[in-house]
Amino acid sequence: MSLEQDMDTSAGVDTRAASRFGSEAITIAVIFGLTIVLILGSRFISPAFGGWGQTETILFLSSFLVFCSFGQGLVILVRGLDLSIASMITLGGVLTTTWLAGSNEGLWYVVPAILVVSAAIGSISGFGVTMLRIPPFIMTLAMGIIIYSLCLGYTQGTPRGYPAPALADLMRAHFLGVPAPVILLLVFVAIAVVLQSWTVLGRRLYAVGNNPIAAHVSGLSTNKLTIGAYAISAMCAGFTGIALAAYANGATLRMGDDYLLPSIAAVVVGGSSILGGKGNFLGTVGGAILLTTLGTILAALGIEQGWKTIIEGAVILVALIILRESVYEAIRVWMGRSSTG
Amino acid sequence: MRVTKGLASLALGALVALAVTGDADAQDKKKIYLSLSYSGNSWQSEAANIVKALAKTPPYNDTVELIEVISGTDPQAQISDYESMIANGADGIISFPISSTALNRTIKRGCEQGVLFFMYDATVTEPCAYNISYITSGFGENTAQALVNELGGKGKIFLSRGVPGNSVDERHTNGAKHIFDQYPGIEVVSEYYSYWDDRTTQQETAKALAAHPDVDGIWAQAGEYGAIEALRQANPDRLIPITGENSNGLRLALANPEDQAKGLKGVSAGSPPAQSGYAFKLMMEILDGKRELKPMNIQYPLPWVPADAVKVCEGDTFENGCNVFPEGKVPSSFVTEVFNPELLPELSLVSALEGEPTPGATIQPLAADVVVAAPNEPGINCQRCEPPADLYKLTKIEPTVKP
Repeated sequence: MSLEQDMDTSAGVDTRAASRFGSEAITIAVIFGLTIVLILGSRFISPAFGGWGQTETILFLSSFLVFCSFGQGLVILVRGLDLSIASMITLGGVLTTTWLAGSNEGLWYVVPAILVVSAAIGSISGFGVTMLRIPPFIMTLAMGIIIYSLCLGYTQGTPRGYPAPALADLMRAHFLGVPAPVILLLVFVAIAVVLQSWTVLGRRLYAVGNNPIAAHVSGLSTNKLTIGAYAISAMCAGFTGIALAAYANGATLRMGDDYLLPSIAAVVVGGSSILGGKGNFLGTVGGAILLTTLGTILAALGIEQGWKTIIEGAVILVALIILRESVYEAIRVWMGRSSTG
Repeated sequence: MRVTKGLASLALGALVALAVTGDADAQDKKKIYLSLSYSGNSWQSEAANIVKALAKTPPYNDTVELIEVISGTDPQAQISDYESMIANGADGIISFPISSTALNRTIKRGCEQGVLFFMYDATVTEPCAYNISYITSGFGENTAQALVNELGGKGKIFLSRGVPGNSVDERHTNGAKHIFDQYPGIEVVSEYYSYWDDRTTQQETAKALAAHPDVDGIWAQAGEYGAIEALRQANPDRLIPITGENSNGLRLALANPEDQAKGLKGVSAGSPPAQSGYAFKLMMEILDGKRELKPMNIQYPLPWVPADAVKVCEGDTFENGCNVFPEGKVPSSFVTEVFNPELLPELSLVSALEGEPTPGATIQPLAADVVVAAPNEPGINCQRCEPPADLYKLTKIEPTVKP
């Protein structure tokens, strides 16, 4: 917020929320706009692109990233970072295949049990970060290593079993012509948006991220809220693991590796501040879909692996530069001038 | 024990350090180190389990002290692990090498101190180490020809490759392209890296399918079961010819009449975890003074199972020519070629999955004339050497369509 802006606003009216909302809306619009342009533009690369089929694939592939990015986003919101996501995804997948062992029996309690176990592990990370004051980076890295090693020991290197057939069927099912995973994605996004932006819990998390001391002074239990964010993050990662195991019809110990850095990238590209306190889940969803779209198009281009990775990195950088607050402020000021003058 | 950068190795190193401590009763036992790159995929675990099971099978249970060390994915870590093994008086080191060249100097130093080096699957170019590998057996060109035959010499295909920059991936892909390039009707519409992992293969194949839903065939390295899952996801009613490696999932699908009716054809070939067991037995026979081994590069035969040769096993090992296990007994990503009735009759599922010996089994000697020398391949199993003129000669299949 620049000084001139403050002086522009009339005294006594707090427009900060409105301005934040404005810049967030622009971020989200820009990201989704960019994604749509990419999808439509990709028609030039492959004639099969640019249609509903490709959009379906992208939404479908990005759903896993969206699931775990929600938790990552909450942890980043409260000024943390969750590096245990990859291991938690693996844990979710391994437990899904070993506990269900290819049968539908017990599905109704195994899935909640996996989520509870994940949340409990996340709480331990949160406890370490808040009560023991271990830096989030170290705490979640250590937790990730421990969980990975437990998975390795538990499975002896070869995850056994299959997910429940009902889960695998769900991943292939269609409702009214729309793939079930896409519907799952929409439901998840709806719940997550409400949780983050419209509930008391969500607002308190913002408060903790904005200024933990102020939040504490105003009577919020910042430690409990932070632990809650880590618990939700671990639970989301566990859920991602269940979905991935259902999708792949099995688990591997590497299954989470592809999601750790992209989950952070999706949050940051989506306009959240890596320093916490600011961000919107819809932006993260846009970030995740944008990254997946890019991956799909690069794959179709058939360029070499080195260049692929360079382009992905460059796009993340460019997105961050474009999506800076100052750029919006400039746009807002410019638009304000052109409309008034 | 040196702590390395990789997450996995960090944790595993700690576990191994714990496991290694506290056993000093074995002065007269042969001290063998099993040096792995990475534990965490089925293939690596199975290969390691085979060696562990053999080392517990009589009479080796009394004569061998086996110590497992996991070095992660960083050659530097494996170099320093080799150094400590040599310093600790290893009789032999059996290893999956992380790099084909980076370990050479350490290996040479070890050889000079009388340590035997046996590499399985992946290879090194240091001439004093033994390489036991199927790499030179022509996986790439033979599977490529099988796919060309199934497609009648024309169609759009995907190449699902391994790890970028890896010499094994390059050898396979070069062999395959040598065949595909002869057929102008074959068009490679997408080529992607799947890291020999089922789930990565599935996602990368799904991306490629979005751009090319009309693809006619897939040539895949390990992880191929993911390609089948991606096809089923994209269209439950249509499958296409696939060639891939030895996953239980691919073999079951190849033999499944429903999947065949949807269009699935192909062949299962590729890297057998059993190589580690063969390497271990050869090494022990040398250490026991029962074998003189002249060629340093030894070829493991290429497994080759087309759809009509798939046979489901009723028991826990390859008996009566069976080569796949029923669904539910092992996961889809289980690599079936852990067994070899001729070379490794000692093994059963419990060996591959848990590293435990088969009850009642004893070590059977290898046939005197078992060893087949591998051809030279520069950068794979020798430095400054000439490859044979017929490097990409087909050994398992004849072309049924003319280029």
